[in-house]
Amino acid sequence: MPVEKGQSLWSDAWRRLKKNRLAMLCLGLVVLFTLLAVYGEIVYQYHHAKDITPSYQMTNLDVAYEAPSTRHWMGTDGLGRDVMARLVQGVRIAYKVGIITSLIAIPIGVILGCLAGFFGGRVDDFIVWLYSTFASMPGLLFILAIAMVVPDNGLLGVYLGIGLTTWVGLCRLVRGEVLKHKEQNYVQAAKALGIGSGRIMFKHILPNILHVVIVTFTLRFPAAVGTEVIMSYLGIGVQGEPSWGLMIDSARMRLWQGMWWEMTFVTLALFLLVLAFNLLGDALRDALDPRLND
Amino acid sequence: MLVVAGSFLFSGCEQKDSFSASENEAVAYSQTSRIRGLDPGISGEVSSSLAISRLYEGLLQYDYLARPYKVIPLLAESMPEISDDGLVYTFKIRKGIYFHDNPCFPEGKGRELVADDFVYSIKRVADVKNSSSGFWAFNKRIKGIDVFHETSKDSAKTDYDFPVEGLKAVDSHTLQITLTEPYPQLLYILAMHYSFAVPREAVEYYGKAFVNNPVGTGPYELVEWRRNSRIEFIRSPKWAETGRMETYPSAGTPEEEAAGLLADAGKPIPFIDRVVQYVIDDSTTSWMMFLSGQLGSSGISRDNWDAVITGDKELSDSLESRGIKLVSSPTLDVYYLGFNWEDPVVGHSRDPEQAMRNRKLRQALSCAFNFDQMNQFMNNRLYPLDGPIPQPLDGSLKEASPYAFSLEKARQLLVEAGYPDGIDSATGRRLELTMELGSATANTRQMMELMADMYQKIGIVLKASYNTWPSFIEKMNRRQAQLFQLGWVADYPDAENFLQLFYSKNESPGPNHANYRNTEIDRMYEQIRTMLPSPERTAIYEQMAGIIIEDCPWIFLYQPMDFGLTHRWVENYNTHAFPYGMGKYRRINTAAREEWFRTYGDSKPDMTGDE
Repeated sequence: MPVEKGQSLWSDAWRRLKKNRLAMLCLGLVVLFTLLAVYGEIVYQYHHAKDITPSYQMTNLDVAYEAPSTRHWMGTDGLGRDVMARLVQGVRIAYKVGIITSLIAIPIGVILGCLAGFFGGRVDDFIVWLYSTFASMPGLLFILAIAMVVPDNGLLGVYLGIGLTTWVGLCRLVRGEVLKHKEQNYVQAAKALGIGSGRIMFKHILPNILHVVIVTFTLRFPAAVGTEVIMSYLGIGVQGEPSWGLMIDSARMRLWQGMWWEMTFVTLALFLLVLAFNLLGDALRDALDPRLND
Repeated sequence: MLVVAGSFLFSGCEQKDSFSASENEAVAYSQTSRIRGLDPGISGEVSSSLAISRLYEGLLQYDYLARPYKVIPLLAESMPEISDDGLVYTFKIRKGIYFHDNPCFPEGKGRELVADDFVYSIKRVADVKNSSSGFWAFNKRIKGIDVFHETSKDSAKTDYDFPVEGLKAVDSHTLQITLTEPYPQLLYILAMHYSFAVPREAVEYYGKAFVNNPVGTGPYELVEWRRNSRIEFIRSPKWAETGRMETYPSAGTPEEEAAGLLADAGKPIPFIDRVVQYVIDDSTTSWMMFLSGQLGSSGISRDNWDAVITGDKELSDSLESRGIKLVSSPTLDVYYLGFNWEDPVVGHSRDPEQAMRNRKLRQALSCAFNFDQMNQFMNNRLYPLDGPIPQPLDGSLKEASPYAFSLEKARQLLVEAGYPDGIDSATGRRLELTMELGSATANTRQMMELMADMYQKIGIVLKASYNTWPSFIEKMNRRQAQLFQLGWVADYPDAENFLQLFYSKNESPGPNHANYRNTEIDRMYEQIRTMLPSPERTAIYEQMAGIIIEDCPWIFLYQPMDFGLTHRWVENYNTHAFPYGMGKYRRINTAAREEWFRTYGDSKPDMTGDE
């Protein structure tokens, strides 16, 4: 591919993305959430390394259910813990889930998709059969089943449950793209030169379909976070850490008594995170689509 | 009986069924725990027991109003004749008691109850194939029942004609029970559902489906049971048909009389035609249903407490003006944190020095449990529990436990246990303990987080492992837990019922889930199990409690107080520690209910708790 300075796919995409104000706003939000997640992780790791209990886990019943004030910007929960500190830890959990499940799902989807598209025939039949089988099972039930059998239930179950079930969509997309690229001249040329299949797949074709992977990542990240919240809310997800799902579950009991803060702020955070990633994903898709070259 | 820790058993939430307004006197309950089966011989826990007691009956029952609790005849004509050595009990069974009509009987007509039914029913509990949760109640007590238990292991089909020496139908209406040793609690056992009369025809006709097709002699028959959702009972026509008449008790305490509980004295029961019970897991939903009059009574969840009850433990004005009444009573429930005796860190050890250190660790953990904080979390409705025996049973301790909350003492004991500041020298980090819990509701979780914070104060990391109730029980039975939280609801008002939880022969899968073993306790338990109530027995109870407190196989958490609310139209509502079968005494005042619904919505109850 001819690459001129400042005219690569990426710089092109960035230029187009910059024009989209909403997308930039979303990118800002994503950066903000990312910083919060990093901060949360640092706080967590610091306490873990020092082997001390972090303040967001310390209870004080005397200040339980305090409305937002200057001392506690988002109020306190039923055990008198600061909602904001826990919400930030919730960002950390959400990011961990989003990233780790992607690290599980994306390689599976990409590798299987490439293999199926490139080799066709029996390999294709098998992989298509495999993902059709996975796709035919109701998503949440499947995730719950995996999470239940993981011995040390908790975060690991969430990672595996979500990671092992959400690669199907990506696999389909990659397979389709590879099928398309396989017939193109540069692949034919590479084949004629006698380059190995693995190298063609991952060195030649994959960079050309990477935008699909990136877009998929931005779209499945919030979906994974949402799933984690649902699982935790149902009591089979995160344990012993302040996940948003757990916070929503605890907060709903007193909502009707007018204790709105925990529920509101957590839901708002979840809403913003999911919205920002989704809008950004949409914008990225437009920006990265080479056919929209202007 | 076991209960999920942290759940508030409240014996019922009566409800006017919205779609049956035309049918007078319908009532419904909601409860959070699920009914697992309707087989008196097999089913174990409280919710099943409550449902079973509507359908089936036993020889004896608890008096609804008498305090302290006492048993009175139900299907027996009178209290039994007991031989002088206390070993032979002879019951005269009432004539003219019939089973409900059911296809299992010839021509579908329920037959008369005879003494053989009781012989058969108790044998069923002893049948290995039924793996009943109630065999402990008869094992080694009734002569020859263990032989029957052993033989039922062998054949493919248990031979119910195989005689049990101590169970004899002298004639059609005389039952004789012969014991191997005196059994002071037998009369209580005979009021439990394990001893209820089951007709052999029904068991043989339905086979495995008997659990869904109950055939009893009780005041109600089953209409429909949708598991985990809804169960419906209807007044059995058999009572009227056969002229059976039961009446409301006519004696009670002065307080009960003042509360209007004797207004129906001597009137025929049951009062209510139809009972519908729902499983409503979400406390907010059932609370809203109660406020809107769909439920006649309700428990009070932790989160609703502040809005409902004022600081002086009285009902808030807005609810009072809606005609809602508050009922409260102490319970005989004990909630505890158990240590698995087989765990290398918190349990027992062959090495006496290690065993001593582990004991110090358990004592330290006991000292770190801050009852006041837990009580504050639970809206101050708990009593502290200082030993294995709850108030007001004989043997309950008068003075505070030496291992009640004290952080200095906990830290001191930790040092002696080899964990200064909670640091485990093997890892160089804080000691980590894992606690198994039988539910994962928001309430359980918050309670757990509160306890984790109590323990981090002495440098111990308490991790939670949340399970579903079945997998929790599975872990208990396999002895895989390190720490666990459980409750025990008294089966009968005698401390022996609690002390048996520490008897080594009752270890998992028996009720001694801590798998506690102590030869001295075993010896004393074997001694008291045949003793009639006496000061000597109480002295041994106290001695046993003392040893158990010192050994610390449990952290004694609390004994809850039971609070409930009822609408004005629910009458004859009395709390009872053994509420099984008490629904037949309740009454729905339809006029008052209609009046309530007519005015519903005129004033909005203030639910913020700010008043």
